[in-house]
Formats: sequence, C-alpha cells, structure tokens
Amino acid sequence: MTMTPLLDIRNLGVVFDTDDGVLTAVDDVSFAINPGEVVGLVGESGCGKSVTAMTALRLIPRPPGRIVSGEVWFAGRDLLALPPAELQTVRGAGIGMIFQEPTQALSPLHRVGAQLVEAVRLHRDLSETDARRYALDWLRKVGLPDPEQRMHAYPFSLSGGMLQRVMIAMALMLGPSLVIADEPTTALDVTIQAQILDLLRELRTPETALLLITHDLGVVWEMCDRVIVMYASRVVEQGPLDAVFKAPAHPYTRALLDSVVSLAGGDRKLVAIEGQVPSPLAYPVGCRFAPRCPHAFARCRREQPALYPVAEGRVSACFLAEKSEQSTANGEQ
Amino acid sequence: MQPQLLQIDGLRTWYPVKGGFWARTHGYVHAVDGVTLEVAPGETVGLVGESGCGKTTLGRTIIGLERPREGTIQLTGKPLDWQSEDGQALRRRVQMVFQDPYSSLNPRLTVVDAVTEGLLHHGLIRPAQRLDEASRLLGEVGLDPDALHRYPHEFSGGQRQRISIARALALHPELVICDEPVSALDVSVRAQVLNLLVDLRTRHGLAYLFISHDLAVVRHLAHRTLVMYMGQLVETGPTATVLNSPGHPYSQALLAAVPVPFGERARKLVLPGDVPSPVNPPLACRFHTRCPYVIDLCRQVVPPLEPFRSPDHCVACHRKQAIPTLPRPK
Repeated sequence: MTMTPLLDIRNLGVVFDTDDGVLTAVDDVSFAINPGEVVGLVGESGCGKSVTAMTALRLIPRPPGRIVSGEVWFAGRDLLALPPAELQTVRGAGIGMIFQEPTQALSPLHRVGAQLVEAVRLHRDLSETDARRYALDWLRKVGLPDPEQRMHAYPFSLSGGMLQRVMIAMALMLGPSLVIADEPTTALDVTIQAQILDLLRELRTPETALLLITHDLGVVWEMCDRVIVMYASRVVEQGPLDAVFKAPAHPYTRALLDSVVSLAGGDRKLVAIEGQVPSPLAYPVGCRFAPRCPHAFARCRREQPALYPVAEGRVSACFLAEKSEQSTANGEQ
Repeated sequence: MQPQLLQIDGLRTWYPVKGGFWARTHGYVHAVDGVTLEVAPGETVGLVGESGCGKTTLGRTIIGLERPREGTIQLTGKPLDWQSEDGQALRRRVQMVFQDPYSSLNPRLTVVDAVTEGLLHHGLIRPAQRLDEASRLLGEVGLDPDALHRYPHEFSGGQRQRISIARALALHPELVICDEPVSALDVSVRAQVLNLLVDLRTRHGLAYLFISHDLAVVRHLAHRTLVMYMGQLVETGPTATVLNSPGHPYSQALLAAVPVPFGERARKLVLPGDVPSPVNPPLACRFHTRCPYVIDLCRQVVPPLEPFRSPDHCVACHRKQAIPTLPRPK
C-alpha cells in the first residue's frame, strides 16, 4: 500500500488481571486506517473491539488492564509511548471519540456549554467568549434544538438523542483527522439512530477518517468502506465492505451474516451459530472459532491460524483461506 | 364465535408524576392510553414501538404488575382480576419472559428452585417431584440437566434466557408475554433463542404477545403486528401487510430507519425531532409534531383506528388515503 496510514495498530495485546485469572481482551490485533476512510470494527460483545479503541487512546484503566504488546502509530507517533502531556494534545484535537452511552460520557455536574468550552480552550487559544461562540456554533451545526438554552442546561435534562448530538459536536469541533465512534447509536431508538447516522455522514469532512465500532451489520453496511471482523479478541477477517459482505471468507463472518434476522421475512428457520463464545479467561488452543465452526478439522484445534491474504486488501484467519491461497499460487506457476 | 384468548378493551395505565414538598401528584405519564387488542389461541401478536411508547407497560399491566386506570382485560371471556380467587387460577395461564436475563432471575435461587417455584406455589407438584419436573423443562429449552443445581451467574445471557423461558413454560400457560426476549443477546445467540421460541410455539400451541423494538424479529415470528406510538396503537394488521405496505407515516418511518445489510444506503424518510413528553402528549393525533404529512385536521381531531385497504388492516391517520406508500427494499 502506497498511502501512509493515519492510524496503524500493530500486534496490540491487552489483558486484564481479574480475581479469576488473566483475561485476554485483545490478542495480536493489527490493522490500519487511511485518511478519510470509514472503517467498521464489528464483533459481538466481549470480542475486544471497544478495548482495542480505548487502548489506542490509552483510556483503559491500568491496573487492572495491561498492554502486553504492540504499538499504536498515529500521525508518526507511537501513542503507547507518548508522555501524558503530549497524549493530551492528540486526544480531542487529533482523535475525537464518541462513546456509546451519551448519558455517562458527559459530566452530570457541569453544564453542557461549560464542558464544550473547556474542551475548546484546552486545545485552542481562545477567550472564554470566543470559545463559547465557537461551541454554540457547533451545537447549531449538529442540529440541537434551542442551542442557546442548551448551553446552560445540565446533561440530565437532555434526551439520549440530544446528548449524542452534543457528543458529536464535542468530537468533531476540534477538527480531528480521526473520529472513533464506539457504538454511537446502540443506546438510541431507530428513528433517532437514523438522525444520528445522517448527521455523522453530513458533518464528516472528506479528510476525516471514521472508525465505527458496532455489532449492527446493518449500520456497517450503510456507513462503511471497509470492515474488520473480530472474534474472541482476535481479528478474523478484514477487507472492503462489499466483498466481505457478499462473499465472506471466514466461517464466522459468514455465520454472523447468516444469523441476521431479515426484514424481508419468510418462514425459513434462522441459521444460528451453535454453542457459546469461549471464555476470555481460557481460550481454546487452536482457532478460537473451531468449537462452533462447521468446517473445523483436526489442525484447527491444534494451531492458531494466521491472517492469510485472500484477495487484494482482504485477509482471513482461516486455514481454508491459506489452502486457497496456495492453490491460486500453484495455479499461477 | 369462540371468545378470544386475550381481549383488552380501552386499557389505560397512567403513572403519577409526584413532586414538591408534599409529593403531590401534578400530572400523569400516559404510558398506555386507550389500547384495544385481542390475541387468538395459538396466535403470535407482535407489538412494536420505540422506547417509552408504553409497550412494556402494556405487558406488565396484562400480567398484573401494574394496575390499569381504566379498561378491561379478559382471558377466554373471563375478566382477569388478579386479586380474586379466580384470578389466581387464571394467572397460571399467562406467563412472562422479561428482557434482561441478568436481572429477571433471582441470583440466590438455583435453576431447580427458579423453574419450579411457580409449580409449588400453585400446588401442582409435590416437592419430591421438583427434580424430575425441572429436568424435563430444561430438556424442553435445550439445556443440560447438569445445570439443575447451578446459580444464574454461572450462565451466559442466552442460557439465562432459556432458563427464563423454562420458568414461564412450567405452568403450561396458553399465553406467554415476551418482552424484548432477545434484545440483550448477541446476534449469534439471538437466532438460537428465536428458533427455540418457534419450536415451543408449535409443540405446545402457545400464543405469544411479542413485544419488541426490532422489526426484523417481529417479522420473523408474528402473525399479526401492532405498531404503538405514545401509548396508543397507530396501525394493526397481518405482519406481512403492516411491514410491506405500512399505511401510517410513523410505521413507514420506523421501517425506513432500520439499517439492513444489503439494503438501500440512502434513507428516504428521516423523522425530525424527539418523541414528545408522555406527561403532556400532543393533542389530537399524537404523531402530528413529527409527521411530514401533517395538516390542520391532525392537530384538532383524534384519528380513529379504522380499516384501510382491507378489513383486517387498521390505520389511525387522517391522511392515510393521501400519503404515498414507501417501496420496501429487500
């Protein structure tokens, strides 16, 4: 790839020390995001997608969390090695973050306006009045009703949808080159979700990259250019959205797409993935999806598959993908 | 004509809003505000709407967890009065599965105790039969009998929801009210539980009142679908009709808002604004503050829920004849 990626996560490993033992949250995760790209990071709860994003901004509490391996390169700097003062300049101005629960992401004790102004003044050399005007401008841009009044309101008096608009203003107002949105619409109703997704599409400049973390494959389909699928703390598949959705290479991706309940209806029995996600306290030795995989064979239970290239810009962590790679290579000879 | 299994007429459940020094009531949340519906034996009725529309309160009122302010609830023609002797016997016939499998099971009860508590209460089995009965029920929901003596915290969300379902089935109900039974579950597990609900329905001839915000799930399970907005039903009809050619602008917007893989990426209809406060709901049509097709009549006269296009498809909208139907993407 010729373009220098904006965010480059390399071999990231994060564990949590719990009373029950060492919990593997993120295991050898690597991916890159280019400028202006919209990337979906999907997986079920507990698969490590949020921890990956939080670790990139060093937002996981340590202890109990521990970063055991890896680097996170953003605009030429390794965020994991940055002194706290420098990291502070990246948070907000370089990378904006939108959290899942807008009711918990804002301070309940400070007025909405004050929280926005604080963030503006932390990064921009503006007077209180100018910062206030700047923040108000952004509340208008995100379509918050009665923005002047809302500046003086406390978060509890705003609805979830309105708070998520405030969060979006806060994440975008400093012109970050990357926005990480962690399940930004999961806590919202569908009609409000539609508003918020539209807003994210409208307000993002073409240069701003977006990492959208979600479990909703419909949201990914609507928003993203590329998709990364995680299962049991590891990346299992990565590639351009259309290609991955239309012809998933990893059995987990396929099963996940098959188990989506369709709006088109029909009386077909749903294709369920049998069994349970393995416990992060004791992952199986081989491929972590092997116990639930219809294609698993002996090697899957012994060895962990690496990410094998399946096509241009596409990888899959499945021995079947490795086989097809060899066969195409042989075919060319 | 044989009476409906469940018949609800003009049901209202309001919650008082208290405040001030004397905690005086100075208003009511109109959670359920004049709902009439019926469920036939063996029928699955889907009740859809967004959070706060009153769908959960409706379920809780049917099961007797909330007292209605007005209206009647009848089970096979007999009024459901939870206080009376008769009510106790009727109560067995309606059971509920709750949304959150983490808070709906008592953490101090083992699976045997949780599943057979109701049976013992109603004197249907002797204590000695508990183990047999519980293992039979676990078999029904696809859990191993070695789960019997374990506590809820040892199970995953999907397994807990199976325990809740086993508990609901224990009393051989005719109607099970499912309040968002799969919303808290991950997609891969969701399909397992939905398949289980379908199997149980065919095996036992159960009727479900299936409460959900997820239209795809309702589409999959329900014979009839009711759409609720701010405590009232705005559209009712056969599921295929309501979801393929919705007549009410709210149902249309709800459908258009659901992102689906391989669906249309550009949206056709995005509703502006938030749901208004249920303490002071808008007068006349409650949807008029967000409706793209609003006219003066909508602000003055309550639209009745009346047949539209076919006798079993009802829509509460003054403008149902005038508004375009949205083409439904796959």
